Amino acid sequence: MELWILFGTFITLLLIGTPVAFCLGAASLATVLYLDLPPVVVFQRLNSGVSVYALMAIPFFIYAGDLMVRGDIARRLVALAGALVGHMRGGLGQVNIMASVMFGGVSGSAAADASAVGGLMVPQMKERGYGVDYAVNITVVASIIALMIPPSHNMIIYSISAGGKISIADLFTAGILPGLLLALSLMVAAWFVARKRGYPTEPFPGLRVLGQLFVSAVPGIILILIIFGGVRSGIFTASESSNIAVVYALLVTLLVYRSLSWVDFLAATKAAVRTTAMVLMVIGCAASFGWLLAFLKVPASLVMALQGFSDNPIVILLLINVVLLILGTFMDMSPLIVITTPIFLPVAQAFGVDPVHFGVILVLNLGIGLCTPPVGAVLFVGCAVGKVPIWTVMRSIWPFYGAAFATLMAVTYVPALSLWLPSVFR
Amino acid sequence: MERVARVTGALAQLGLMLAGTGVVVMTVFIAAQVFWRYVLNDSLQWTEPAAVMIMGWFIFLGAAVGIREGYHLSFDVLLYVLPERARLTLHTVSDVVVAAFGCGMIWYGAQLAENTAGNKVPGLGISGAFDFLPIVVGGVLLVLFSIERIARRAAGLPTLRFGDDHEEA
Amino acid sequence: ECEVTLKSSDTHPDGYPTVEAVKFMGDELKAGTGGRMCVEVFHSAQLGEEKDTIEQTQFGVIDLNRVSLGPFNNIIPETQIPSLPYIFRSVEHMHNVMDGPIGEEILAAFEAHDLVGLAFYDGGSRSFYNSQKPIRSMEDLKGMKFRVMQSDLFVDMVSAVGANATPMPYGEVYSSIQTGVIDGAENNWPSYDSSGHFEVAKYYTLDQHLIVPEVLVMSKKTWDGLSAEDQAAVRKAAKDSVPVMRDLWAAREKESEAKVIAAGAEVITDIDKTPFIEAMVPVYEKYVTSDKLKDMVARIQATE
Ligand code: NA
Ligand code: NA
Repeated sequence: MELWILFGTFITLLLIGTPVAFCLGAASLATVLYLDLPPVVVFQRLNSGVSVYALMAIPFFIYAGDLMVRGDIARRLVALAGALVGHMRGGLGQVNIMASVMFGGVSGSAAADASAVGGLMVPQMKERGYGVDYAVNITVVASIIALMIPPSHNMIIYSISAGGKISIADLFTAGILPGLLLALSLMVAAWFVARKRGYPTEPFPGLRVLGQLFVSAVPGIILILIIFGGVRSGIFTASESSNIAVVYALLVTLLVYRSLSWVDFLAATKAAVRTTAMVLMVIGCAASFGWLLAFLKVPASLVMALQGFSDNPIVILLLINVVLLILGTFMDMSPLIVITTPIFLPVAQAFGVDPVHFGVILVLNLGIGLCTPPVGAVLFVGCAVGKVPIWTVMRSIWPFYGAAFATLMAVTYVPALSLWLPSVFR
Repeated sequence: MERVARVTGALAQLGLMLAGTGVVVMTVFIAAQVFWRYVLNDSLQWTEPAAVMIMGWFIFLGAAVGIREGYHLSFDVLLYVLPERARLTLHTVSDVVVAAFGCGMIWYGAQLAENTAGNKVPGLGISGAFDFLPIVVGGVLLVLFSIERIARRAAGLPTLRFGDDHEEA
Repeated sequence: ECEVTLKSSDTHPDGYPTVEAVKFMGDELKAGTGGRMCVEVFHSAQLGEEKDTIEQTQFGVIDLNRVSLGPFNNIIPETQIPSLPYIFRSVEHMHNVMDGPIGEEILAAFEAHDLVGLAFYDGGSRSFYNSQKPIRSMEDLKGMKFRVMQSDLFVDMVSAVGANATPMPYGEVYSSIQTGVIDGAENNWPSYDSSGHFEVAKYYTLDQHLIVPEVLVMSKKTWDGLSAEDQAAVRKAAKDSVPVMRDLWAAREKESEAKVIAAGAEVITDIDKTPFIEAMVPVYEKYVTSDKLKDMVARIQATE
């Protein structure tokens, strides 16, 4: 009964157009009242859900992105990228995906990655004639790459949840090839969609123009080098690098380009508040909802239902993937890793799946969950930076879901994709 | 109604200004942390808890203002196929739900603040109640703005929703 | 089925000594009440981190909670005493104190905060580890950056030995050591092992600066709803789980120690603790303020 109330309230409110955050919050509150638990717990989870240091990268990257757009850093960077790849179909879509590969090391958080790349790329792609939905689709799904390419905090959570018996170094290395494969399949999807929609190509502008564009984009390039180099070499954490991005963007736009007025600065700050508050409110309310799912032992029951369903490893792995995709649709990534690892890993191991391989499957799978409705932090970040309704994005995102799912299947059934690289480095 | 809208509009602007100040202060704090750690080779212990606390403030203030300005995400797909009247009624139901949740934020947020008032926040030394005050204040604004939306709709005035064109101010 | 199922929270994963001990307590309780009462453990922080689950226990959302003393330090002054660096000479000394009247006194202090203290579990002894060099003296520690929990006491302790305290979330520590953001951290053998930190910080200095017990508490709300007989059954089952927990813990420590040493960790044992202990004088002055607490410290030091 309590599950009917939880999901019933949530879905009903969702359908009548209540803001997603409050669908989650009100459904949790209704269920807690029904269970006769002290309702304070809903608001405590809401508060703890947003009081997380690692989440700070989201407001900072969104803020930095907005400052870069208003202060003309973004336009110059994308102008350079456009000149380089403009002759390709959907060239900026490809750039967007490559940016996710590079920023993958920066954040390790898909939502932060979506805010970093999306805040920069989506407005510029819009301006250069790409559909907003196309820009958001790519930004959203490509940000899963961030989870796969080291450093990945989720891999660490997985290792700890598995009782610490799995080498984190191995897990980090194991994610690299699947991450690149995901990038590749998304690039193929982006090319097909761009061709189908007839996105224009631009002639190559010539080396002279390219050189001028490069010079004018230098401060932006330095920013990317600082962030990319700083985190890749491991000097900064995600929250720190996102903060450096804000400070640097302010310095460049105020002192070098002198392109940011006081009015622009205020507008950028308010925009950052709006976008961040909206996304983090969903994350906080999802923490309440997720707490109830754990309290009601939903993940455990789902897994229980799965066990004894089949003894074919291929079928079992497929079922595990399906269950994780369903759970990932409602819950956030790290609590799901913590809850499902101790239950799923022994099952997978019983069928001969290597724990490192399973970690990669788990993270990729739950990463897809971050991009799917009804609850997907990354999807919401994408909609927020693009200022488009979820529905508009949903209508055209399917080719990219398809590419991600195909990658998931390849990673699930070809263990070498995950295990070959660690074996080389060991 | 117009006068009420001016007051709530001013409140929303104030909330947004406070939240914006929060973002800037948070930026400064973490920048200080980075500077101390990498340039002075020393660690500041208060920057992280302080910044996390400020983040709570601007999220709940911003979320409340978001109700008035209609920038929260929602799935409006079913609503497109409904007649205007039904749609407006459902919008009002949504606003009631948000207001009810806002009441919960006030009441239970206050309870949490009271419960933790005697604790000290590690690294800051201030009362633990500050952790939960943003929920209470955000809740007050949420209730206020939701009631305003309901009243506006009853008076036949438009209310903003996500996907509409916003005033960018 | 049980009439009363007590929901219990733990931040450690399934199979961890504390988790297993509470499960054992559940079995004892079931046997002791003729199958009327059971315990259901939510491990791996499923219901939240310690600070959150403590509040949930106070509000009666969950019934039992296995937590470390750290989160109580700013709430219940008595809990600061066993959390002081070098307060216990050895694990045996800690057992003697916490199993005696001082332990009971500290457990009783939870009552005023809507909690019932049931029993103390072992938390092992915490030592410094780092990626740079073998540390044998306070000289070696000077200026190095160590991750600590977000706790004033930990920060003050690390500062007192001349190192740089860097509060940081647990999950970020591995990458931060690997990349040199920090030089090391401090923890017990099992955590040093399970976090994988030994992979990136191989010098483990066995200074045992903290030997802090952990505590099993019950919600006062739940407690008040039980009959006197059931209350006694809960207390007994909790106390019975303590020796089980200690055996599991000792085995776990040995296992982790052997594993990290086999993986190449270098354990430094030839250290003179005296200067470290002397450096803690200002820390004691800051935290042991009331006469009551000073008396407690004196009594602990006088305990065999
Ligand atoms: Na990453
Ligand atoms: Na999802």
